[in-house]
Amino acid sequence: MAKKDMDLAPSRREKKGFGQYVLGFFLLLYTLFCFLPFLLVVIAAFTDEQCLKDNGYSFFPKQLSFTGMGQVLKYGKQLGNSYAITILVTVVGTFLGLFIMSMFAFAISRKEFYLSKFLKVYLIIPMLFNGGTLAGYMIFTTVYNLKDNLILLILPLTVSTMNVIILRTYIANSIPEELMDAARIDGAGEYRTFFQIVLPLMKPSLAAVGFMMATAYWNDWQNAMLYIDTNSKKPLQLLLVNIQNNIQMLLNSHNIPSEVYAAMGNTLPERSATMATVLVVVGPIIIVYPFFQKYFVKGLTVGSVKG
Amino acid sequence: MTPKLFLQNTWKHRAHVVMALPAFLVLFFIMYVPMTGLILAFKTYKANMGIYASPWNGINNFKFLITSKDIFFRMTGNTLLYYAVFTILGTLLNVVLAIAIDQFVFKQAAKVMQTIMIIPVFISFAAVQFIVFAFLDRDTGLLNRLFNADSPIPFYAAQAKQYWPVILTIVKIWNSVGYGSVLYMSVLAGIDTEQYEAADIDGANKWQQIIHVTVPALYPMITVMLLLSVGGIMKSDTGIFYQVTRNTTGLWDTTQVIDSYILHSILNNPNYGFTAAASLFQSVVGLLMMLLANGLVRKLEPDNALF
Repeated sequence: MAKKDMDLAPSRREKKGFGQYVLGFFLLLYTLFCFLPFLLVVIAAFTDEQCLKDNGYSFFPKQLSFTGMGQVLKYGKQLGNSYAITILVTVVGTFLGLFIMSMFAFAISRKEFYLSKFLKVYLIIPMLFNGGTLAGYMIFTTVYNLKDNLILLILPLTVSTMNVIILRTYIANSIPEELMDAARIDGAGEYRTFFQIVLPLMKPSLAAVGFMMATAYWNDWQNAMLYIDTNSKKPLQLLLVNIQNNIQMLLNSHNIPSEVYAAMGNTLPERSATMATVLVVVGPIIIVYPFFQKYFVKGLTVGSVKG
Repeated sequence: MTPKLFLQNTWKHRAHVVMALPAFLVLFFIMYVPMTGLILAFKTYKANMGIYASPWNGINNFKFLITSKDIFFRMTGNTLLYYAVFTILGTLLNVVLAIAIDQFVFKQAAKVMQTIMIIPVFISFAAVQFIVFAFLDRDTGLLNRLFNADSPIPFYAAQAKQYWPVILTIVKIWNSVGYGSVLYMSVLAGIDTEQYEAADIDGANKWQQIIHVTVPALYPMITVMLLLSVGGIMKSDTGIFYQVTRNTTGLWDTTQVIDSYILHSILNNPNYGFTAAASLFQSVVGLLMMLLANGLVRKLEPDNALF
């Protein structure tokens, strides 16, 4: 089942009748429904600010301009900074999560290991019952005193029950027990068996889970909004949250020479610059995603069946 | 099993204990310790005394919660209603889209369209809200400009609150249907071609084949996905309710759910005892629903039960 992934159904009667074109038309309509809002972001990012103010957002703007995007890229010191934070959090979080979750998954997949039964229950409980946002916020900020610490952008998303289950299922279903036994007979210890035999074979499931994790990290705005105060620690999503009220925060007035500011009539290209920022924030995920599509489709499928 | 045997087994598997430890600790500090924060539901929180030393106040917080009809019943009602609409409509559209793509014989085109349909799920709601704004803004919004330039609707004000359930449903569909259909497509890809051929020989047309072969093949997956989603009945995608509405006070009547209420309270209202009561209510109902859901899945599709 998982093998076929994107190949849809096996080709049945390949009749290209009238019905197929009607079906194609509706699919195309839905595709446009999905795509047009994103296209509007791109167009608005390159629309002249005055034109946006007078005529509103449009797919066919009367005047294009690079001012908005130019402002964002040129003076957006904060943007560069936030990019660095987001990339750091995403990379560290994803790799750390994959590493410790796959070790945990490997440990609980050992049937002859008594403690694994306890560990399985221990893993499932947080999915059934957890403190929720408030209790987490209170403990993290008043007991751990980690307010404004990047750790709070990383650890809360590092280990998830569902992801461990996906990895464990993959180990149970796709990695032959005999292979591990053979390694042990050849004198490999458990660490070596895991790192040299099991981990390399887990690649497809790691790619699937890793991509889903990376997306969750990249798009996480809530933890940033709750915990991060300092400008230098703000990730991209928090920038978007803040922009709503003041684009200055992004263009950081210290970085704009006063004469430039005056030349712009003391107004910043707010609407177009905002959309330019949105584009710069969501762009990378959308560009990278098609390359991971087949993996994460596989991951979704693997996760739906318990081993 | 004697304690001695258990210890021997654990010592023998010490490598597995070490490997499970990092994820064990992350779960402990990120998921388990915060559960204790829920005792705030029975306390009057005093910042200078901390969570554990703050004075108990019995069930006062819950009394307030129940008597604050407008907040408690509003957010619980909204949470359940949006859950019902999103789940029923979402599942229906997931299935329809999966079947439509599966039936489409131009496979290359189908693949490209599907790739585009999945894109919205990767755009964070912090970014989505700017797109929605571009469509709905009173002065510059695309929809107001196109359809009622003379008397634009102020969507982000209380008098437009009746539109928001529809708006949020459309945003939710846009966001998740392309992604949600992937799982059902993988089931369709696994249907034995012979079944279609047999139906064909029996004289079934395309529609009859869909109704009698395709749809029944999806029933188990639909059942499992619906039941599992029941476990999350009290949880909402905070982003859609908090970000997309810009947390506009006037819209709360029709858009505020428990999760967005809790987030708003953490950021604006230091009455943590009250919020913790709402949070505990959410967690306990969530636990019961999760147990119920898993019990049902276990009965109907034992292979798909989570535990």
